[in-house]
Amino acid sequence: MRLPLMLRVKYGIGRYLPFLKIRPPKVDRQAAMLLRPGRNSMLTWEKRETGETMLLVPQNEKVGRVTRTMARFLKAPTERQVELDEVGGYVWELCDGSLTVDAIVQRTCKQYKMNRREAEVSVTMFLQMLHERNFIGFYKKTGKKA
Amino acid sequence: MPTQVQTKILKAEKRAAQNAEISSATQTVIGWQGVRCMLPPDWNVTGFSMDRENGYLRVDAPAPGTMTVQIRWSNAARVQKGPPNLYTFLAPRFRKLFKRPDAAVPKPDLKANLEKILKETAKQAKKAKAGFESTIKPEKTEGDDDERTAINFSWNGGGRGQGKIWYCAVCHRIIVAQVVGMPKDQTAMALIASQLFATLHDHSIDGYDRWALYDLQVDVPDDFHLEDQKLLSGYLHLGFRRGSERILVDRWGLANVTLKKFTLDAWFRNHALVKLKCLPKDERSLHGHECEHYTGSIPAIARIRALRETKGALRRFATRYESGIWECPNTNKLYAIQVAHNKRSVGLWEEVAERCDCH
Repeated sequence: MRLPLMLRVKYGIGRYLPFLKIRPPKVDRQAAMLLRPGRNSMLTWEKRETGETMLLVPQNEKVGRVTRTMARFLKAPTERQVELDEVGGYVWELCDGSLTVDAIVQRTCKQYKMNRREAEVSVTMFLQMLHERNFIGFYKKTGKKA
Repeated sequence: MPTQVQTKILKAEKRAAQNAEISSATQTVIGWQGVRCMLPPDWNVTGFSMDRENGYLRVDAPAPGTMTVQIRWSNAARVQKGPPNLYTFLAPRFRKLFKRPDAAVPKPDLKANLEKILKETAKQAKKAKAGFESTIKPEKTEGDDDERTAINFSWNGGGRGQGKIWYCAVCHRIIVAQVVGMPKDQTAMALIASQLFATLHDHSIDGYDRWALYDLQVDVPDDFHLEDQKLLSGYLHLGFRRGSERILVDRWGLANVTLKKFTLDAWFRNHALVKLKCLPKDERSLHGHECEHYTGSIPAIARIRALRETKGALRRFATRYESGIWECPNTNKLYAIQVAHNKRSVGLWEEVAERCDCH
């Protein structure tokens, strides 16, 4: 979920002027592990025989009429493809809003026989990356967004 | 209503049961710079130093911010000697040459060392605006040959700590090991501390140091020093050096995913120290797995590079290369051990590979 504009401006100022000591509140690790990642419903995906997962991200959805007309005229692609490797695809499939981050880490650990800490670092970083690209959102409880 | 004696017995039984629970569970082996210990599962190394003489190791509990094990070591022999001079440089070399015993190292003042540590901790507690209390127990000797002089201590202020400082007469190291946690974790801390102190060793066995972290466990001769490391999620690398001889240990996770795209041979060719094209390959069994083994002489260009790296030192100059890679399906990992060695160190690869526990 995007932060309100005022907070974004405030934290932006704090980032570039560190002496002001304006920082976003620290996220509690335990609370973060209980969040439930859910996929963006605008995205579609397909699994390939090689094990990779291809995400199809729609483009030109939130653009003006002129840009849309220009895009149609220039035959610009309407969707972007993002390829996830086998492990990424496995985690992506688990992001259905019902499992917590902790549960996803545990399942990844079991599936690929990884060390708990290694799995936690990889999965949380990957989820963070997906969230930054708006491919997933985090829910506090099933059905309610954080 | 139970009497005081009954309560004590019940408590002791409970403690024994908890101890048994800890020992029965699979334990994490931690080994770094000759220091090794066993801790409950999922405890992982989060901080370390590269120095063998004076260094530290930090191991955290799975849930961060709960409990931490801190181990610090310093070489008492070096501390006592002061700044290096010609005598300190030549004397150990002559002693080694003429096979004379090492010079006696005076016993360090453990209490003074401990007081220094506690003073620093008290300062931190003061910063956190918390009171500070510490208890120091009397000095005692322990170990199989009474080689250790130890003092137990505990402190309370801001957090809680239970630790031990000792001097080992074999390796001349002063070790400070402590379990730090929150005051509410007192019982768990006591259990961890007893497990830590019972399993903590400070010097090598049979001339081999155990290096163990994140599922990687390997024994390396103690005269090899850690040169470089890479601890990434899914990839661990430890590089050791003795003169121009090198041992490289690599461990990759997600073997099943990697081997879908590459063969074991192709994967290793991309990561090997030297070009493997010209080296003869054979297959052998290692820890019950098939290992692809390469052996041959180091190419001239690589030798020149090694000569430059060792600043022209020709002692134990590495001329031979031996390596092997194997997949451990039990842990879904790939292990590779590469050795660049001198003709005199024949069998080094076999020794290290045999002592690398993959499952």
